Amino acid sequence: MKKTMLAAAAVLALATPAFAQESVRIATEGAYAPWNFLNDAGEPAGFEIDLGNAICETAGLTCEWILNDWDSIIPNLLAGNYDLIMAGMSITEERLATIDFTQDYFPPDPSKFVAAPGSDLDFSALSGARIGVQSGTIQAAYAEENLSADNTIVSFATADQNMADLMAGNIDTILADGSYLEQVVTASNGAIEFFGEDILVGGGVGAGLRKDDAELKAKIDDALTALKADGTVDRLIAQWFDGQGPYYAE
Amino acid sequence: MQGFLDDLAIMAPAVLFNIYFAAASIPIGFVLAVFLALGKASSNPLLNRLSRGFIYAFRGSPLFIQFFMFYSLALSLNMSVWRPLGISGFVLHPLFMGPLVLMLNTGAYTAEIFYGALRAVPRGAVEAARAYGMSRSQQFRRIIWPNLIRLAWPAYTNEVVFLFHATAIVYFALPVVGAQRDLMSTAKNLFERDFNAFLHFPVAALYFLLVSLVIFFLFGLVYQRLMRHLPARPGLRYAPKWFR
Amino acid sequence: MLDDIAFWVGYLTNGKHLTWYASFQFTIFAALMGGALAVVFGLTGATLKNSRFLPFRLVGSFYSAIVRGVPDVLFFLFFPLAFEQAVEWIVATQVCSPEAIAAQTAPWPPCREANWFLGTFEYLILASVSLGLVYGAFATNVIHGAMRSVPAGQLEAARAYGMSARQVLWHIHIRQMWVYALPGLSNVWMLIIKATSLLSLLQIADIVLWADRLGAPNFLPAVGLVHDDWRWRYYLVLFVFYILVTWLSERAFGAIMRRAGRGILSEAHG
Repeated sequence: MKKTMLAAAAVLALATPAFAQESVRIATEGAYAPWNFLNDAGEPAGFEIDLGNAICETAGLTCEWILNDWDSIIPNLLAGNYDLIMAGMSITEERLATIDFTQDYFPPDPSKFVAAPGSDLDFSALSGARIGVQSGTIQAAYAEENLSADNTIVSFATADQNMADLMAGNIDTILADGSYLEQVVTASNGAIEFFGEDILVGGGVGAGLRKDDAELKAKIDDALTALKADGTVDRLIAQWFDGQGPYYAE
Repeated sequence: MQGFLDDLAIMAPAVLFNIYFAAASIPIGFVLAVFLALGKASSNPLLNRLSRGFIYAFRGSPLFIQFFMFYSLALSLNMSVWRPLGISGFVLHPLFMGPLVLMLNTGAYTAEIFYGALRAVPRGAVEAARAYGMSRSQQFRRIIWPNLIRLAWPAYTNEVVFLFHATAIVYFALPVVGAQRDLMSTAKNLFERDFNAFLHFPVAALYFLLVSLVIFFLFGLVYQRLMRHLPARPGLRYAPKWFR
Repeated sequence: MLDDIAFWVGYLTNGKHLTWYASFQFTIFAALMGGALAVVFGLTGATLKNSRFLPFRLVGSFYSAIVRGVPDVLFFLFFPLAFEQAVEWIVATQVCSPEAIAAQTAPWPPCREANWFLGTFEYLILASVSLGLVYGAFATNVIHGAMRSVPAGQLEAARAYGMSARQVLWHIHIRQMWVYALPGLSNVWMLIIKATSLLSLLQIADIVLWADRLGAPNFLPAVGLVHDDWRWRYYLVLFVFYILVTWLSERAFGAIMRRAGRGILSEAHG
């Protein structure tokens, strides 16, 4: 019995091309404009998609984009369903305990509060507020640690759902990445505004990969160094973030 | 082994959420079901169509979609309806939306069970009651209802167990407030941390199984009481088989 | 007016919407494949439950009792993960060298060579098998009951004709069983259809995921049409879709039952 099982496994291993690694699979969420989203054609687009394709071209890799929900994006990387995460993920100590990151491709990004104009909340000492966060983000961890005692933290699966609940008045404020909120605030025509002080959590944004993938990490780091040097990264940041930066070039 | 015990302890508060969702939706769903079943059996064309339509729609579509749809529908009414009434945070809270949708859902399934039982109530008994000169409400309270509930109880027990199972998807569709998480959401969270599928999911399954057994036991006691007029009381066995 | 119509037709046929329409194939595939597997597992389970050999009977009863005792969504999530890890473990015993295992820092898999990539197609197959296993437990009960409903006289007559036990089972018992099992199997099918709404939990870009993405509010013109939260409209479409599929399935099963019931005593029509 054991022998046949092993033989079957061996056949499976040989016959299934899925066990052989051919191209680099990059996971993204596809619901975090302008970082990554699904365009009208239904395909992934955005800053990270352009950057990822540029990295693959520079490093001579064939790349393939995979959609994965944010809350299971790290477990599915560990499970080996893809090799790389490019989904606006900040480099943090907690994440470094389970996965590895390439060098950052977006400088540290302050987190900000947004709310409807005329909000009477005291953003320097929030209390009694319903604060919306996307679950599994650095802001969710920050809110859990610093704000959950006096406020109600509501976690959503996607940033869009979070924003929908703010617009519909179900939550009082959102704590999220400034780079994501900036354009939404501009485009909202005054429906929401920034409030309070910026909060600095997390390092820059990098591509996540498994800890044992040193080879891939080296390739991507080299490509990123080259792309930063020739100004491609800054150009893409300018293109996707309304020319607002932050940039790598001084 | 230590991991197993830890999981048991972590999930003990989580199971309370599942129990709450079921306990909050079942009594109201029960009452709703009685009215829907009577509506479906009614000769009034409007009542009849409405009840039939409601039952068909809720039994014919996935609960998962019902959760998403009702939440986003309630959200879009927030500014115009809930806010002015001052019940915004209450209506959109998963502890309210969850039981609301579950109640509508179990109402439809239970109504179908009650409707089947209603049609199986012996005609002779009803005719005898009429011959005694009982009013329609007397007929219902004294003859139809006692017969109906005895006929429907085993199937209803299964429906309650499956409703309890259905509480597992509440937090896949609704936002999570604070640290309020049910069994499934807790198990998934734990799994995403250390990737040990063979520990966390079976522990959650164990809790579901245990509560299912308790439900069978309690509803079995009620069934015995309902059937106390019979010389040999039939019992309920653990055998989930009614089809939701 | 015409401009409006042209705009909406254009919007509803943009690539994003077309992808949504195309994703119905995953739902339909999972339903059909899950349904077929449920019958296979149901037949297996019922045969085990009917077996003369006690351990087989226990396995059959255990399978149908446990799977029905836990929520379908739990099993639906657990099975693909457990299966993936089991396959990786078996492969690991063959391909991993001790050095590779020692070099592995991640908790799973045992070594890099044993890793199994799961894409949409693999997940779809695993999801279908999951559905088959869960609802096969219900089908086991239905088929087990239906096997007992076949009149004993029919089997005796077959034996009297000199048929072997195997012939009696396949030519008479199982063939007549279908008529009694169809109403119950129709119920199982309705359950499977509704369970296909869970595919997005396994990272399959199915109709539910696309409804969420399409309906989510959009503020940036670069992303597409700027609109408010339209999610409930998209979910309403899915709500109606599932009701329609249920209605069609009822009609189809009604027709099959009428056909299958021909020539069988009318008591079979349950």
